[in-house]
Amino acid sequence: MAGVSMKGIKLRIRSMESTKQITKAMEMVAASKLRRAQDNVTRSRPYFETLYSTVCEISGSSDAFTSPYLEEREVQKSLYVVIAGDRGLAGGYNHNVLKLAEAEMSGKNVTVLPIGKRSVDHFRAHGFEILSDVWAQAGDLSVSDCFTMARELCKRFLDGEFDEVHLVYTNFVSILVQQPSVLKLLPLHGTGEAGDDKSETLYEPDSETLFAAVVPEYLGGLIYGALCESVASEQGARRTAMDSATKNAEDMISDLSLKYNRARQGAITQEITEIVAGSTVS
Amino acid sequence: MATFNLQIVTPDGLMFSGEAESLTVRTVEGDVGILPNHINFLTALGMGEARIVTGGVTRRAACIGGMLSVRNNEVNLVPTTFEWADEIDLDRANRARQAAEEKLSHRNTLSDQELAVAEAKLKRALVRSGVAARR
Repeated sequence: MAGVSMKGIKLRIRSMESTKQITKAMEMVAASKLRRAQDNVTRSRPYFETLYSTVCEISGSSDAFTSPYLEEREVQKSLYVVIAGDRGLAGGYNHNVLKLAEAEMSGKNVTVLPIGKRSVDHFRAHGFEILSDVWAQAGDLSVSDCFTMARELCKRFLDGEFDEVHLVYTNFVSILVQQPSVLKLLPLHGTGEAGDDKSETLYEPDSETLFAAVVPEYLGGLIYGALCESVASEQGARRTAMDSATKNAEDMISDLSLKYNRARQGAITQEITEIVAGSTVS
Repeated sequence: MATFNLQIVTPDGLMFSGEAESLTVRTVEGDVGILPNHINFLTALGMGEARIVTGGVTRRAACIGGMLSVRNNEVNLVPTTFEWADEIDLDRANRARQAAEEKLSHRNTLSDQELAVAEAKLKRALVRSGVAARR
């Protein structure tokens, strides 16, 4: 009896050990990717912030003119750009951002532009209307992809295909904390902070042409920034998840080793008892 | 000498931050010069050379796309691509130019979109090599 369970325990320890090696390796990979992604975030953040605050200021201070990008239409159709990861095993990362997206979408007539393989799979499986799945690999997107995407979005927004555009992504707060968030891209809304000297700003060539040129750039920059944040968040979440998986595996291995040694000792004791008993009889 | 606070940010990071005496950039309407105490101003950038005078030294760069905003003597230059003249890879620009020219040489076979992409690539390459060649 003891022999069978000893073998069973041994097998379990061995399988635990190989699992631990895999999670350990994934953690290392995620950690090195995280470092690169984090660099990207810190480099793109000033751009992201300057762009956002500048466009907020001008759209807030521009009561004097109109632009189709500023116009609030009655919302019949919404577009959600949802950025999730390409792979699983990243703790709650994909789940959290997709859950937030679904909560935001509920009760609306929506089209989804998923970015990242997990996001594409999720919305396809749940029967959402998908705009395009060209951008399935979140990790490989470059700046120019984001600008292409932004131009496409602007064109469709102006054509009236949808009346508002939201971006759902994960904000990279720190290595340990990632916050899923929603950002309204279109129509633009001003913060209204710069109300002091609105009439004195000079727009060249004129406000409408300017908006037509700047808005696609602005959206592209914003999407790129959100993408950098999301990719960094994914790696961060994966690193944390794999770290705790490795720790769990270690705990289980030490637990199982203890059981194994007890079983071994039990078996030896039994054998000795049997021999002693046998020799007394003869 | 009067100066203004200039910040140049691109998707690749902060390229410049500090006091500058003048800034010349190519906008969609042509070259524009910014001096200290400029009126609040906003424009979209075209493709061309940017010249920044800081501390009496003129620095040149290739500056493509994006926007320029001036607000209370704070100048934000937010281009899509910004490369200092001495950091441009001239070989790469020349190669990109040749590739784009070759593509454009049989333009009948291209779709409108491909044509636009190839033309944009050619323009970028020309701006880069133009800025780099004059250093």
